[in-house]
Amino acid sequence: MTAVSVRGLHKNYGPIEVLRDVDLDVAAGETVCVIGRSGSGKSTLLKCLNLLEEPTSGEIRIGGTEITGARVDVDAVRARVGMVFQHFNLFPHMSVLKNVTAALRHVRGLGKEAAEASAMTQLERLGLAHLAQQRPGRLSGGQQQRVAIARALAVEPEVMLFDEATSALDPELVKDVLDVMRTLAGSGMTMLAVTHEIGFAREVADRVVFMDEGRIAEAGPARATLDDPETPRLRDFLARVL
Amino acid sequence: MLDFLRTFFDLHEILDVLPALLTEGLRNTLLIAALAIVFGVVAGVLLAMLLLSRRRLVRLPARIYVDVFRGLPAIVTVSLVGVGLPAAGLRPFGREPLGYAVLAIALISAAYSAEIFRSGIQAVPAGQLHAARSLGMPYLTAMRVVVVPQGVRNVLPALAGQFIIDIKESALVYLLGLGFGQRELYFIAQERQAATYNSSALVAAGLCYLLLTIPLTYAVNKLDRRMREGRRFTAVPAAVAPVPAKAAV
Repeated sequence: MTAVSVRGLHKNYGPIEVLRDVDLDVAAGETVCVIGRSGSGKSTLLKCLNLLEEPTSGEIRIGGTEITGARVDVDAVRARVGMVFQHFNLFPHMSVLKNVTAALRHVRGLGKEAAEASAMTQLERLGLAHLAQQRPGRLSGGQQQRVAIARALAVEPEVMLFDEATSALDPELVKDVLDVMRTLAGSGMTMLAVTHEIGFAREVADRVVFMDEGRIAEAGPARATLDDPETPRLRDFLARVL
Repeated sequence: MLDFLRTFFDLHEILDVLPALLTEGLRNTLLIAALAIVFGVVAGVLLAMLLLSRRRLVRLPARIYVDVFRGLPAIVTVSLVGVGLPAAGLRPFGREPLGYAVLAIALISAAYSAEIFRSGIQAVPAGQLHAARSLGMPYLTAMRVVVVPQGVRNVLPALAGQFIIDIKESALVYLLGLGFGQRELYFIAQERQAATYNSSALVAAGLCYLLLTIPLTYAVNKLDRRMREGRRFTAVPAAVAPVPAKAAV
């Protein structure tokens, strides 16, 4: 089953072409890591998948539903696609628990108690239950990002997007977050992760997609592609980041 | 020196006028100010949302409203509403001048509050709206639950300033002529001053205003501190430098 299908995706900012004719399929349960230089369009690709960026042209399907049509319920699409941001973007004026219940209450329409019970289960799963009453500002970056993951998972999305989820973290906190992502990948979640952690991509991803100047320049099974790149551009990129 | 003291601090005068100030005056001043503040805040938040709209047609009426009511001297607005409306046959408050005073000051307050809220909301990082929308919240829900509460926290001190202005502007109701029982602080004091040619009553009224405004400032600052401590170590958006509206999401 195809969880995400992208066909002929273009995204322009005025005269600048950020995405040029991107085709991509992600099978249900598959983990795909998107790598590439900054400015190569990888974050924009991710944001198009939950319509935080509006595609200029092309077709995107999530679980078979086209989301790029004119009469699409954008909010319904986003509720099916969880997103984790580089800078966490937790709501600073709410406790950790309220961060996680917000969508359950205001999107799913759950009552306070049902939402909190469900949120606590999610927090326990990620080992964060003891932080439920804290404000995000009191947490370490690694804890904040795990809360952000719990928040995104709370609405039970079909697909999870990670936009450089570990780039803003201190090195010693990166592992905590990667561990959560690894577990999630192992649990059968469909994941697309933009990352600079080549080691993580090699180990956890089923496939790797290398983006260059708005195009997918190379894609393939993670280990084979990263160990033995075909294109000079990817070889060059890997030589720089490894 | 004695003349000076007698003109401004005649204890007999002050004690004489104090009962009227404290019972009738303070009550009516508070009534006008409180109602104007409540309306000003509610209308101000709504206007701020309109000001931040992507659509020009939505933005424009709010923009015009804010420019007009911020641009007019308060005394002109109070006269237009309090004298003009009844003269034109529009008497939503009958012959109750306090009603017109509340309306006029609320209209002005809403315009100023709108700009205060707008700057506060714009200072909330764009990632907050992105995160809320990515969870599937509709725009208005995301604004109500996530963005506006943070924006309001950003501007509490500025808002306290606006509340103080509202309290002070309630004095302009004297233009409309007040009957017994309707008089607010300034009206009582200036009546007294005109009758006795002594300003002590005005000094007493002034002290009553300070009794309202100074504790208000401290109360809001305390609230502000408490809210900030609740989120210590988080990135607090610096000041309220308005940034150009981000490509809406």
